Amino acid sequence: MTVQRQREEDEIEINITPMLDIVFIMLIFFIVTTSFVKEPGISPQRPSAETAVEKTRGNVLIAISQTDQIWMDKRSVELNQVRALVEAALAENPESSAVIIADSQANSGILIDLMDQIRLGGIGNISIAAEPSG
Amino acid sequence: MRRRQRRGDDEAQINITPMLDIVFIMLIFFIVTTSFVKEFGVDVNRPSSAPIEEQRQSEVIAVRIDQNDQIFIEERLIDVRAVRANIESGLAVQPEATVVVIADRLADAGLLVRVVDQARVAGAMQVSLAAAR
Repeated sequence: MTVQRQREEDEIEINITPMLDIVFIMLIFFIVTTSFVKEPGISPQRPSAETAVEKTRGNVLIAISQTDQIWMDKRSVELNQVRALVEAALAENPESSAVIIADSQANSGILIDLMDQIRLGGIGNISIAAEPSG
Repeated sequence: MRRRQRRGDDEAQINITPMLDIVFIMLIFFIVTTSFVKEFGVDVNRPSSAPIEEQRQSEVIAVRIDQNDQIFIEERLIDVRAVRANIESGLAVQPEATVVVIADRLADAGLLVRVVDQARVAGAMQVSLAAAR
């Protein structure tokens, strides 16, 4: 107030303190909620399941296409590369959990091999993506 | 300190404009990079090295899927819609039983997920996956 009175003749100042408060709160909100999800790059036909629950913290997404190709981080990878990629993701965020998005036409053998590789990479929390139904 | 400054007629103010610039740039960065991914999924367990034989056979309800996507429980061919009822009756006999889905490598992943889902609906606490050799 004293500042404004002193300068009343020169200029009118807008009080930016409330705006700053809001900006900081938004900043903190976005920092906290950002989880840097690695999109797999393809979106397969998910199977439907009645017991599907929302996975909010799943940030390592690995997709299996209809032709049994594994997609991770927007590129096609081989099964034996998955372990190293999972380890790298785990080093970035130690609380990572994995979600496998398998096409319903894919072979279950590749799905189980992929689960093994993810577990060898160090992520124990694995779930299989499904479309919620009913 | 304040009094002395007022007497000097110009107050020392910290210029917060550069800080505001940085804060806004960070805010825009985080707004742009945030992606609220909502993925729905079913949890499964994969027994890594322990073979099924280690668990006592009486505590396991084994569901087999062969390469032609046919489902067998105790060597009986059943439909996918009957999986739930079969597992429920199995769990009524052995409430602590673990459901193990043994899928052939050539079976559809979609069918595997449906069977795991049906086992969950039937009330199985532990649903494990295994690959048929």
